[in-house]
Amino acid sequence: MRCSPLAALIAATLAAAPAWRPADPAHRWELPRDHFAHPDHRNEWWYFTGTLAAVDDPARRLGYQLTFFRVGLSPEPPALDSAWAASQAVMGHAAVTDLRSRTHRFSEVLWRASPLLGGFGAPPGPGVAWARAPAGTPGRWTLRLEGGAFHLAMRDDARGIALDLVARPTKPLVLQGPNGYSRKAAQVGYASLYSSYTRLATEGTVTVGSETLRVTGESWMDQEIGSSQLAPSQVGWDWFSLRLADGRDLMLYVLRRADGSVDWRNGTLVARDGAARSLAPQEWSVSALSTWRSPRGVTYPAGWRIDVPGEGLRLVAAPEVASAENRSTLAGGISYWEGPVRLTGADGSAAGEGYVELTGYGEGTRPPL
Amino acid sequence: MEPVVTFREVTREYRTAGGAVLRALRGVSGEVPAGRIVAVTGRSGSGKSTLLHLAAGIDAPTSGEVVLLGRPLAALPDRERTRLRRDHVGLVFQFFHLLPHLSVEDNVLVPALVAGDPLREAAVRARALLERVGLEERAGDAVQKLSGGEMQRVALCRALLRRPRLLLADEPTGNLDEESGERVMDLLLGLARDEGSAVLFVTHSRELAARADEAWTLHSGLREP
Amino acid sequence: MRRYLVRAIAKELRASRALFILAVAGVALGVGSVLSIQILNRSALGAFAGSVRALSGEADLSVLGWAGFLDERLLDEVLSVRGVAAAIPLWRAEAAVDGRTDASLELVGADLLQAAVRAPWRLPEGGLGDALTRRGWVAVTPALAAEMGWRVGDRIPVSLGSRRATLVVGALVDLQRIAPLASRRLAVMDIAQAQALLGERGRIHQLDVRAAEGVSLAELRARLEARLGGRARVLTPEQRTAEAEGLLAAFRLNLTALSLVSLLVGGFLVYASVRASLARRREELGVLRAVGATRAQVLRLVLAEAALLGAAGTAAGIPLGWLAARANVAAVSGTIRNLYLLEGIEAVTLGPGLVLLAVATGVAGAVAGALGPAIDASREDPRALLASITLEERVRARSGRTLAAGLAALAAAAAAHVALRGRWAPSAFVLALGVLVAVPLAAPAAIRLLARAGRPHRLGVAYGVRTLGARLGSSAVAAGALAVAVAMLAGVTVMVGSFRGSVERWLDATLRADVYVSTPSWRRARSDATLAPEVIARLRQAPGLVGLDLLRQVQVQAAGRRISLSGLDGALPGGERRVELLAGDPAAAMAALRGGAALVSEPLARKAGLAPGSRLAVRGPGGETALPVAGVYRDYGTEGGAALVDLSTFARLFGPGAPSNAALYLAPGADAEAEVLRLRAALRDHAVQIRSNRTLRGEVLALFEQTFAVTRLLQAMGLVIAAAGVTLSLLVLARERRGELALYRALGATRPQLFAVFLGRGLGIGLVGLALGAAGGAGLARVLVDVVNPAFFGWSIALHPPWGALGGQALAILAAAAAASLYPALTASRTPAAELSRDAL
Repeated sequence: MRCSPLAALIAATLAAAPAWRPADPAHRWELPRDHFAHPDHRNEWWYFTGTLAAVDDPARRLGYQLTFFRVGLSPEPPALDSAWAASQAVMGHAAVTDLRSRTHRFSEVLWRASPLLGGFGAPPGPGVAWARAPAGTPGRWTLRLEGGAFHLAMRDDARGIALDLVARPTKPLVLQGPNGYSRKAAQVGYASLYSSYTRLATEGTVTVGSETLRVTGESWMDQEIGSSQLAPSQVGWDWFSLRLADGRDLMLYVLRRADGSVDWRNGTLVARDGAARSLAPQEWSVSALSTWRSPRGVTYPAGWRIDVPGEGLRLVAAPEVASAENRSTLAGGISYWEGPVRLTGADGSAAGEGYVELTGYGEGTRPPL
Repeated sequence: MEPVVTFREVTREYRTAGGAVLRALRGVSGEVPAGRIVAVTGRSGSGKSTLLHLAAGIDAPTSGEVVLLGRPLAALPDRERTRLRRDHVGLVFQFFHLLPHLSVEDNVLVPALVAGDPLREAAVRARALLERVGLEERAGDAVQKLSGGEMQRVALCRALLRRPRLLLADEPTGNLDEESGERVMDLLLGLARDEGSAVLFVTHSRELAARADEAWTLHSGLREP
Repeated sequence: MRRYLVRAIAKELRASRALFILAVAGVALGVGSVLSIQILNRSALGAFAGSVRALSGEADLSVLGWAGFLDERLLDEVLSVRGVAAAIPLWRAEAAVDGRTDASLELVGADLLQAAVRAPWRLPEGGLGDALTRRGWVAVTPALAAEMGWRVGDRIPVSLGSRRATLVVGALVDLQRIAPLASRRLAVMDIAQAQALLGERGRIHQLDVRAAEGVSLAELRARLEARLGGRARVLTPEQRTAEAEGLLAAFRLNLTALSLVSLLVGGFLVYASVRASLARRREELGVLRAVGATRAQVLRLVLAEAALLGAAGTAAGIPLGWLAARANVAAVSGTIRNLYLLEGIEAVTLGPGLVLLAVATGVAGAVAGALGPAIDASREDPRALLASITLEERVRARSGRTLAAGLAALAAAAAAHVALRGRWAPSAFVLALGVLVAVPLAAPAAIRLLARAGRPHRLGVAYGVRTLGARLGSSAVAAGALAVAVAMLAGVTVMVGSFRGSVERWLDATLRADVYVSTPSWRRARSDATLAPEVIARLRQAPGLVGLDLLRQVQVQAAGRRISLSGLDGALPGGERRVELLAGDPAAAMAALRGGAALVSEPLARKAGLAPGSRLAVRGPGGETALPVAGVYRDYGTEGGAALVDLSTFARLFGPGAPSNAALYLAPGADAEAEVLRLRAALRDHAVQIRSNRTLRGEVLALFEQTFAVTRLLQAMGLVIAAAGVTLSLLVLARERRGELALYRALGATRPQLFAVFLGRGLGIGLVGLALGAAGGAGLARVLVDVVNPAFFGWSIALHPPWGALGGQALAILAAAAAASLYPALTASRTPAAELSRDAL
C-alpha cells in the first residue's frame, strides 16, 4: 500500500495530539471571527457545493464543489528562518459536474502553508484561505469573505475548469448539533464544531473546457473545525445536504463501520425561516436504492430513499451524474463520491436539489481524520 | 695404461609409461683402451645408443659402473661429469644436430664457446680440421646449404675440436647415402687415429664394423661373447 | 578431432601445469588491466548520473541557476507554465561532517510534502511529520549509516562554511536502491530545515520539473525558458549528465588513452601466452600432421585450444580487473570530487558491455594471437615441426621493414597531429600513440644491433644477450612490449615531475599570504561555504596584520562553459603578486580589476579563445554581463577554467554575500604558525580551517599527486605485464630451443652456463626495452608536456625531468627483467642432454 502523505502527516502529528485543541462543546461562537481559520485545531474545512444554471441558457445546469482544507502539522510554528517553515498544509478540492454532458471534472492542490504556496487569513480578512493553483496553471485558488459574501475562485488549466463565484447567504448560519458541537461517535472526543449556511445565492462564472459561462444558482456552505472526527471503528460517512423545493433544508450524516453498519448518525432540519431543529435518529431513515461501480473498482450506493415521517417528508434522491467520483492523487490515492442529486417526492414531483458525499468506500479510502 | 672408458656389469633399465620395465642393457662389461676403435653392432633396440649415452655421462646405469678416464661417473656430481664430457669426449650424432643460425665454422667452434677457450686459437684449429675434411672453403657458409655428408663432416670437426680422448659416434652414417657414409667413416677413423682418440661407434653395418679394431655385438641388451 | 582436443588438453594440464597456469595468468593479467581502467572510466560519471536519478528520478527537466543558485520565488513562475505537472524545489550543498576527516553529506533539502508524492523514494511511515517538525531531521542512506556507525536518533554535527549545525538521523532511506550508483552520502531533509539551519532564506539551487502526460519536453523547455527569460537554465537529466561529462572530458580522455595502452600491452600478453602454449605443442602437431591430420584440422585444434585458454584467462581476469579497479576507486574518486567538484565514484559496476570487452580482449585476443603461429604450424612440413632444432629466418629478414613501418607510423602520427591540431583536440594523443607504436616496431632492429656488438667468447650471460637475435620473433615482441611499458613509465614520470615542478614554482610565486582561512566544506560547497561576519571580525584583530584578503567564489556559466569565478580585493596592497600573469604588468592588471575588468586563467583563455582586450560573458542571476579581460594568469587548479574579478564586481553580478576564504598578510617577522594556533583557539566555536602558508602548500601538492594515482596504477600494471611477457617469451624460447640446449649440454655446457645464457637473454630484452623505452619516453614526455597538457588541460608546463626517479626506475626495470628470466632460466638449465638423442634410441 502506498504511504499516503496526508495519512503520514496525520499519523505523525497524532503523536503530538494532546497539544491540539479538541472541539469545545462550550465554544463561544463569534462572527465573522469563526469564519476564519482556527489554527489551534488540527483540521478545518470550508465546503461549498451548489447547483448553477447558465444565465443565457437556464437549461444548461452545472454542479460545483470547492473545498479548502486546513491540515495542522504541528500546533507550534517551527522556529526556522525560512519561507518554507510551515505548521500547516493547505489542500484544495474542486469539481465541476456538467449536467448536460454528464461529465465530472476534479482538481486538487496540496501545499504546505507558506508565503509561497498557500495559507489562511485572519479577521478582518478579507482572505480566509488561499492555495497556489495546481502546477501548470498560474494564479491562486482563493476564498474571501467580503461584505458578508463569500468570494470563491479556483482554476486548473490542465483539467479545463475554473470557478469565479460570489455566494451570499440568504438564510442565517445554522449551528449543527447543540451549540454547533457535532458528535461523530458514541465515544467521547470524536466531534467537530460544525456550522452551515444552507442557502447562498450564487453568481459568477464557471469554465468547463473551452466554455466560460455566466451562471446563477444556489449553494450550501459547511465549515467544520476539529482535531479528531472519525472514531477508530468508523471507515467513512454518507452525507446529505438537501435544499427542498418548499424552502426547508435537510442535512443528514451517517457514519459507517467497516461492515457497512451504522455507527452514528445525525440530522438537522432547517425551516423556511432559518430555524433549525436537530432530528433524533429514530425520526428519520435513509436507504440506498442502487449501486454504482467506479472505474477504480469502488462500489458506491447510488440513489436513496429518505424518509422523515414526522415532517411529512418521503423523498427519493437520485444522482444527476453517476460518475461524480473525486480521485485524489496528492492525498495518497483517496477517492470519494461527491455529486449533485435531484429530489423527487412520493408522487414523483420535483422536490428540490442537493449534494451527497460518500467517503470510505473501497480499499484504503478511509479519510485520515 | 688404463682404458679410456670401462663398463663393468652395466645394466640400464627404463620404466615405461605403462609401468613395465624395459632392460636396455644387461650386465654389459668391456673396455676401450686409448687409441682403440671399437664398433658396437646389434639390432634396433639392442641397447647400442644407451651404451654410448652411458659412456658420455649423459645417462647413468641402473647398476654396474662406467669409468671414464679412471673416474667412476656415478661418483661425480653433474658439474664434474659435464666438465669431463666437455673436455675429453667428442660426440657425433646420426642427425648431425648442427645449429642452423650459425655458420659452418661457428658450428665447429661451439665446444670452444661452451668451454670458454680462447676463440682465436680455437679458430685456427677449426680451420685446420675443416681443411682436413675438405670444407675449408665452406667455412663461412650457412649450414643449411650443406649436403648431409658435408653436415656430418662439420659435426665431426665439432666433435674433434677440443682433442677428445674419446670420440662417441651414434650411427654417424645412418642418415647418409653409401658414398657419403663411406667418406665420413674414412675421415672419422683417419682423424681419430691421427689425433690418437679412442672411438666407440654404433653401426648397423657389418662392413663398417669390420673396419674397427674390435667389434662388440649387443643382443637384447646382452653383449655376445 | 574434438575428442582429441579434450584428451590433449587434459593431458597438457597434467603434464605442464605450471606453464598452463602461467599462460592463463598471462591472459588474466592482460584482461584485468584493460578491464580495470575501463571500469574506472565508465564509473567516473556513475555517481553523478545515479544521484540525478535517485533524487530527481521522475523529473523531466531541471531548472538551475547560472551561478549555481536560484531565487525560490521562481517556483511560482515555473508552476505557472502550461504543461508542468510538478515542480519540486531543492536546496543542495555538501556539508562537512565535523570531527570526521573528509566525511561529508551531500545534503538535499527538498519540499518533502511534495516530494513524498512525487519523488521516486519514500519516507518510512510517519517520517514526514517528523521530517517537517523535528529540528535537524535528516534521512541518510543505510550504507552511509553503516559506514559511520549512525543509528536513527543519533546527532550528527555538520558544518557548511563556518556555520555549525546539529542534524538528527531521522530515517534511513535507501536511495541507492533506486539508482545503485547514487552517492551513499546523499542525505535528504526538508527544505525549510536546510535553509534555516545551513543555508539562507530565499535561496535554493534547483527546481525539478515533471512534465504533464503527453507534453512535448522540447516545447515545455522552450516555454520554461521563455518564462524565465534567462534568469535560469532549463536542462534535461541527460543534458545535466552530458554537462558533467563535458567537465570530465579531458580527465576521461586521459583514462581512455591509458586504457588503450593497457589494451595494447594486455593484448600482447595474451598473444605471448598463447604462443608459449603452442611452443610446447609443436612436436605433437607435427605428429598429428604426420599421421594424416589435415592442415585445417590442425588449425582448428590450435585455435580451439587458444580460445579455451583465452576463456579460462578471461574468467580469471574479470575478477582481477574488478579488484584492481576497486583498489583505485578512492584516488580517482578524490580527483573527480576535489578537482571537478562532481560526485565521486560510489560503486564500480561491471555492465554487460564491459564483460563483453573483457571476453573480446581475452578470447579474441588469444585466438588472434594464435592465428599466426597456428597458420605457421598448419603450413609447415610436418618434419620441420618434429625437428628439435628449428629455424626462424623470416623475422630477421623483416626487422628492417618493421623498423621502417614504425618510423612511418611516427611520421604519419606527426603529420596527422600537425594537420588536425587546434581542430580536433585528441590529435595530441594521436601523436603520443604514434610514439607508442613506433617504439615496439623498432625492437627487432635494436635486437639485431645488439647481436652485432661482437662475438661472445663463452657460453654465459653475454652470450645470452648477444644471441637474442637468434629467436627474433618472441624476443622482439617481449622487448617491444617492455619498451612500450618503459616509454609510458618514463614519459608519464617526466610529465608528472614537470607538472609538479611547475606547480611548485607557481605556488612559490603566488602563494604569498602567511595564514589562510577556509572551511571544511569549502572545497566542495564553494559559494555556499561562507565565513560568518564574526569570523572575519576576529581575523581583523590579528596582531601584526598588514592586509586581509577576502575571497568569494562561485561556479558560473561564462564564455559558454562552467568556470570558477572568484572575487577578491583588487585594492589589497601588494595584491598584484597573488597572480602570475603570462604577459603584462600585474599592477596595471589589478588596477583594471578594480575598474571592473576580469583576469582569466590560462586554461580558460586557451579553451575559450580569450586574450587581453576581449570580453568574458558571465551569466549572473540578473542576466549576462560582458567583462573586459585585463590579462591572463597562470593557474593549475581548475582545468575547466577560472577567472578573477574585484569583490565589487562580484557583488554587482551575484549580489552581496559573505566570503568563503580569507588570507592574512602579517608584518615581516611575525610568527605565522603561532598566529595559526591563536586563531584556531579563538575560533574554536566555528567550523574553520586555518593553515599556514607552508601547510597549505603541502596540501595543494598532495591534491595534485592524487590526480596522478591512476597513471601510476597503469605504470605498475604495464611493468608487471611486461615482466610477465619476458617470462613467457623466455619460456617459449626454452621450449623451442630444447634441442639446442640439449646439444649444449651434450657438448659439455653446465647447468649454470645455460642458466646464465637465459638470464642474459632476459637482461638483453630488458636492455633493449629500456633503451627503446627511454627514447620513446623522451618523445612521449615532450608530447605530454608540450602538446597534451596545453591542448587538454589548457595549462603550459615547463620540462622538469626527475632524474633520480628515472634512474631508479631504470634499475628497477633491469631487476624486473632479470627476475622475470629466473624461472625460464631454471627450466632451460634443466634440459637433459639425452633429449637430443632420443630420436636415435
